[in-house]
Amino acid sequence: MQPVEAILFEPVGCLAEFPAEPFNEIAARLFGRKRKPSRSASRSYWHLLNLMEAAGTFDAGEAEALELEAVEAASVYEDVAPALAELNALGVRVVLASSLSQRAVARFAEKCPGFPSVWSRDTAGGVKDAPLRAASTIPERTLFLSDTAEGLRTAARAGVNGILMMNDPDEAKRLALLGPAGGVVSLLELPDFVRLVAAQNG
Amino acid sequence: MKKISIYRPSSTGEALQILSQHGPEAAVYAGGTDLLIRLKNRLKQAPAYLVDIKKIDDLRYIQDDGQGGVRIGAATKLAEMAESELLQKRYPMLVDAIRMISSPELRNASTLGGDLLQEVWCQYLRGGYNCWRNGGYLCYGAIGDNSYYHSAMGGRLCYAVYPGDAAAALIAFDARAKLATPAGVKELSLEQLLPGDLMVDGRIQSHVVRYNEILTEVAIPAPKPESRASFEKLRPRGVWDFAMASLALRLDVRDGRIEDSRVVFGGIAGKPLREHAVEQFVRGKALSAELGDAAMATALANAAPLKYNATKIDMAKGLLASGLARLHAAG
Repeated sequence: MQPVEAILFEPVGCLAEFPAEPFNEIAARLFGRKRKPSRSASRSYWHLLNLMEAAGTFDAGEAEALELEAVEAASVYEDVAPALAELNALGVRVVLASSLSQRAVARFAEKCPGFPSVWSRDTAGGVKDAPLRAASTIPERTLFLSDTAEGLRTAARAGVNGILMMNDPDEAKRLALLGPAGGVVSLLELPDFVRLVAAQNG
Repeated sequence: MKKISIYRPSSTGEALQILSQHGPEAAVYAGGTDLLIRLKNRLKQAPAYLVDIKKIDDLRYIQDDGQGGVRIGAATKLAEMAESELLQKRYPMLVDAIRMISSPELRNASTLGGDLLQEVWCQYLRGGYNCWRNGGYLCYGAIGDNSYYHSAMGGRLCYAVYPGDAAAALIAFDARAKLATPAGVKELSLEQLLPGDLMVDGRIQSHVVRYNEILTEVAIPAPKPESRASFEKLRPRGVWDFAMASLALRLDVRDGRIEDSRVVFGGIAGKPLREHAVEQFVRGKALSAELGDAAMATALANAAPLKYNATKIDMAKGLLASGLARLHAAG
């Protein structure tokens, strides 16, 4: 792996515990999704992004209102702030690169400070890999964290290193079979990850 | 197995030169019970240049240091330690620990230095998985079967446990290590030698020894007359296996009260884990039959077991209670 210069974060599943309901609700109301909703916010969210991507256009206002509800209810993981502080001190560019709406991402950035750079689906002009590409990092020197198969596939599509966030061991065991570029148990491991890769590159 | 070259230097200085010349691709080779298995396991970070130190005479000894302590050369066989009258007389707990390492056959080959600095025995690493210690960027033990070889006390990228038994016993006796380095001799405590998963020369390892350094000696200070010590180890089988949990316990007892102690757990963390909270808790207390239960309650408060290994914490606490009971009974 090349030295890590930037890390892209999608808030849902990697930075905070989100409720699944608002994402399921958007899927049902805007896209007529009737299948039994997932209890996992990450899976609901990434499924919703697939629907958004396939539809192309949708009622952005209604989606945003529910996303803001989700952000308000989200609880930021305790390892986020110290990990971001250490990564910033190491000179790693940390970017909030999300497929949420601009207002939702901006609200999340207020709850979770420490991101000098923020991208949303509105500013990036699309969902999934669009915010990753918009961040304008060198893909081979960029990590993108995800705890879903869809997130890892999105990383591959953007050409960045998909890093498995191993929140749930059983789910992570399944996702490890997809061949992510790496995996971490806690965000606090990211600075060590960066240092190790730097040392390996001399 | 990758192609390897073997050097047979006749002095530590010559060995250091060879190690420096080849960089991290070279490694010290003594008993081979870990190193050769790493090669057989085809680990990416296994060395290509082996520096055989068996012919270096001044690395294999067990000597009285003249002040009541003992100095042990790093190339001393574990079997020689297990049979040493000097060690048995001064540190019977250390001899107990050594006799519980692996099997008699392997103790005939294994050296003290090799036991202290051995690679972890995580089944994913040894099975060739592309993990943090094998050229990859993921710990399979953290998400797979972690019931045996993985830490119940958290990790740092790699969640494998430090597997050695001798280290815990030696830390309990405040032993110190001596390293030969290109810049001269370096001395450090065993705790400093084995701080757990850390990055050295661009890789993750349990010890601080760099590619161009050699562990040459372990020195144990004179035992205190009022000391009592015990070593206990839980493992799936009576021989051969690594510890699910182990405990090296030393108490300095005067007039029935504990003046000082060392509580060092093995098999549950990425390093031999000295439990300072218990050491503080028992200090000044009477060594009684009831002390074990109270000490257990203070132990391992920072435990962070993985999905399948919480039982290691219960085992470690049980060893603490039984160790205290044993030393109480010994008085």
